[in-house]
Amino acid sequence: MDRNNTEVLLKVEHLRQYFGKEDFKAVDDVSFSIYKGEVFGLVGESGCGKTTTGRSIIKLYNCTGGNVWFKGQRICAGTRDYTDAMNRKKAETKEKIAQLKAQGGSEEQIAALKREQSEFLAEQKLKAEQAKDDQKNCDKKYRVRREKELEQEYAAKIAADPGQKKEYEEALHKELKELHRGSLVTQIQMIYQDPVASLDPRMTVREIIAEGLVISGVRDKAYISRKVNEMLEIVGLLPEHANRYPHEFSGGQRQRIGIARALIVNPSLLIADEPVSALDVSIQAQVINLLNDLRDKMGLTILFIAHDLSVVKYFSDRIGVMYFGKMVELADSEELFRHPLHPYTKSLLSAIPVPDPHMEKQRVRIRYNPVLDHDYSKEEPTFCEIAPGHFVRCNGEERKRYLEELANG
Amino acid sequence: MDKKIEVRDLHISFRTQNGALRAIRGVDFAVEKGETLAIVGESGSGKSVTAKAILGILAGNSIVESGEIIYDGMDLLKLTENEFNELRGNRISMVYQDPLSSLDPIMKIGKQMTEASLVNGKANRKRSKKLFSAKRKVLETAMKAAGIGNGEAEQLGKELTERIGQAGNYRVSYARAKEYLEGAEYSCGQLNVALKKQDAQQIKEQTGFLKDRLKKAANPFLLPKDGSLEKLAEGLPDTLPKLREQIEELLKREEPDFLAYACKEHGGDPEKWRDTIAKALAYNNQVYGAKRQEAAEVIRKNLPLFEKERLDVKACQNAVNAMSKAAEAGIDPLPVTKSAAACTFSTTMRHSMERYAHGIPGNEKELRREKRDTEKYKRDLKRKGDAPKVVPAMLVDLELTRKTMLRAMNDLLAEYSGGQVFTAQELEAEALRLLAWLGEQGDAMANEVSKEYAHDKAIRIMEEVGISEPEKRFEQYPFEFSGGMRQRIVIAIAVAANPDLLICDEPTTALDVTIQSQILELINSLKRKRSLTVIFITHDLGVVANMADRVAVMYAGKLVEYGTVDEVFYEPAHPYTWALLSSMPDLETSGRLEAIPGTPPNLIYPPKGDAFAARNKYALAVDFEKEPPRFALSETHWAATWLLHPKAPKVEMPEIVSERIRRMKKQEEALKNGQK
Repeated sequence: MDRNNTEVLLKVEHLRQYFGKEDFKAVDDVSFSIYKGEVFGLVGESGCGKTTTGRSIIKLYNCTGGNVWFKGQRICAGTRDYTDAMNRKKAETKEKIAQLKAQGGSEEQIAALKREQSEFLAEQKLKAEQAKDDQKNCDKKYRVRREKELEQEYAAKIAADPGQKKEYEEALHKELKELHRGSLVTQIQMIYQDPVASLDPRMTVREIIAEGLVISGVRDKAYISRKVNEMLEIVGLLPEHANRYPHEFSGGQRQRIGIARALIVNPSLLIADEPVSALDVSIQAQVINLLNDLRDKMGLTILFIAHDLSVVKYFSDRIGVMYFGKMVELADSEELFRHPLHPYTKSLLSAIPVPDPHMEKQRVRIRYNPVLDHDYSKEEPTFCEIAPGHFVRCNGEERKRYLEELANG
Repeated sequence: MDKKIEVRDLHISFRTQNGALRAIRGVDFAVEKGETLAIVGESGSGKSVTAKAILGILAGNSIVESGEIIYDGMDLLKLTENEFNELRGNRISMVYQDPLSSLDPIMKIGKQMTEASLVNGKANRKRSKKLFSAKRKVLETAMKAAGIGNGEAEQLGKELTERIGQAGNYRVSYARAKEYLEGAEYSCGQLNVALKKQDAQQIKEQTGFLKDRLKKAANPFLLPKDGSLEKLAEGLPDTLPKLREQIEELLKREEPDFLAYACKEHGGDPEKWRDTIAKALAYNNQVYGAKRQEAAEVIRKNLPLFEKERLDVKACQNAVNAMSKAAEAGIDPLPVTKSAAACTFSTTMRHSMERYAHGIPGNEKELRREKRDTEKYKRDLKRKGDAPKVVPAMLVDLELTRKTMLRAMNDLLAEYSGGQVFTAQELEAEALRLLAWLGEQGDAMANEVSKEYAHDKAIRIMEEVGISEPEKRFEQYPFEFSGGMRQRIVIAIAVAANPDLLICDEPTTALDVTIQSQILELINSLKRKRSLTVIFITHDLGVVANMADRVAVMYAGKLVEYGTVDEVFYEPAHPYTWALLSSMPDLETSGRLEAIPGTPPNLIYPPKGDAFAARNKYALAVDFEKEPPRFALSETHWAATWLLHPKAPKVEMPEIVSERIRRMKKQEEALKNGQK
């Protein structure tokens, strides 16, 4: 895929998600972008923060630090970065003042330091306020901006072709109506891992699927019914299934209902949180094929979270590997499997079972031990680009080693 | 080879509101000692039901229609709950799919681990005592009857009991000391690591462990008496390499013959015992040989009764009683080798006969019920509209039950018509086996499990399954463990009682790749170390390739393909196996996956013909009409599909599978060439 021309749909910058008083770091400094129309795979062992990342993006949690941009609008913004900076600055100034006092510095110098501090604090505070505002009012802001953009767009069109003014105005009106109906965050939808637990057993399939529309304010029953039937057909179920209850369906069919529920609000990004892990092999293939079709048909962008690497490899364009809250490697899926660089990625790849008895019985699992495999006493690692599109978390010494590895093929 | 467990023609149904759900419709396999059998298939194909039947934990609404599960001369399907309690967890263990729900959330891990051995320990001793004294009685009677008189028989029995008890004591204390010594060796390794890391706390802890274990390992048969090891232990950590070397050397020594030692100390002659026992055996062999021939005669006489289309219940019941009595009389209680056919005959016959009698509508009420069921069934058919594919769901399959009885009779007839059990040469070997069996019971009687020992053993097993800091973990609750660790605990509990058969029901499905890989390695290493027989249930074919020696592919309650792992992966023959193989992506797959359309059939209305036909794109017309027989592809490999019939059109397996197999073979060749 040529990425220079494609639009970045979702951009995650230094996302941090801490829990509890002691700051349990579930997600720590994760950055990546998802381009329009691609499938981005997120892999790692259980407890490494894949799901938390997905949930932070969809604003189920209030993120601690970092930003998430969706369609050019900041939807999640944490304030921890700014408060950290403020605390650092305060400590720094205090130290400097103490030093000055010990050296016998003048009052003026101290005053200058204090002034500098208060300026810095005010700046950071403002940023934090903005972040809070964005976090809270991202929908409104997006609407206002988009309205303006649309009006300008159509004004230009009308100017170019005044004869069709009426049609253009109607189209504009329709788009504005659409814009006001949903919110920005509902354009991100999620499919959950367990198809049994994620569907309310006391709602019929119709109610489950229509819920998204009802919440966003649609009251037109005929429209809802038509839309539900359409969705059922898209995911390969029949319209008469709408009146049944979830327990009447098999695992694969339930997962299809979950997908239909996510698709009815016409999302542009789908977060699939281990959608096939709880399913049988044969059903797995059905669901993967369905997601693949939907992606082609509806132009969906998918964030695919899973731990089964062969499925992720088959399905994703790019893959990010996470380990204990940190992104350790990110590359095109082909590239990642051909040249894994980070030792954790290597260990993960070596653990994939292969349906071939002879190979499988010879397979040696590579063990990963973060203490032994890295020496970060001299230099802290950063997440840097080693080859075009291939990012690894490493420090300078490792970077050199990885580059050599790449050059040697 | 030694068949550890054999499942024969198993049929299991569940009573449901809508009729009998035929979950298992004819499964048979045998697993040999130290082997792994993998059962693969979609959910709902009956894999777990088979496993549960082996462990006797089927749901309350289950009906065992027919079949036998033979383990150690017993038919597991016909055991009472009390008898099963002695096997369950003790000799047959199970690892469940979800580690969280198979552990008690409000009980400390340590308690859960030691519970089984504490409870079982007591029960085992009691049971062994009972078995031993029963056998002694039988032996004494046989000896007297064989003409060993003048109180010599009693004298011998007493002597035997005493010596074996003493030898058991020696052996158990030796085995425990050895366990502690093994633990000490492990601690040496840990200490070595700690020393390298310069972790002061760890060093202190492990040194303490090591000393404690060495102290507990004190045993006159194992450790040198001069106290050289204790001296070395005092000098830790400098003396570690030397200590370790010595321990390793000690562990390599062979176990002394405790019975001989006990005889030397207290008098007694195993040679003489053996000869006398052989004599008693020979006598019994003759006596029971005659009884067996009588029993065979009874069976032969009654056989025609059961060959009719519809049985005369009264006559047959009488016949069953007579035959069971005769067959039971023919079982010699003295030898320890048991014949499966003879031991299970009377239970099988009585059970089946009861079912048969129950299945025939005897009174008006039952007739009405049958009529109502049939009508309802016909109505259902009309509504669902796939009439020719299904057969009525009756509560008892009369034909099947009758055939079970016939088979049991024929089996026993074949065995009993020979008369005597042992030839002259076999008698000697059997006498040795009897002595060994008595010795085993003696060990079990001496095996008293104290709380302290249970604790130490649990710690040892936790170390074995790779849980670090076992002392600390022992006091924790299940929620404090991660998924992989929890599964390790479940495995540790399963192997704690030294079972010889381990059933793993999707043990890694809930875990992610790295943990899965670790757990599989763990199960494999335990299997090697303890020569476990494993039945492994999964739907992940990658896992199967890793674990299995033999593979059984299951669909809709039946085995459809069976073979060694190489045969099933490199030459799959059944379309269902192809479909399973082609529906999972591997690292090279591109293009559309071939999902299996639809879902497994509803087994309340089992389809006529091949159950897979409706979802099978290679289905022939005959698949919808007639059930395919098993076509043998090699001695160990068969598949039940009409495609293998000589008259069937040639069908190639799907591209995606054949290409993968080609690729696998190529890789292997490349690997071989690389090695050269």
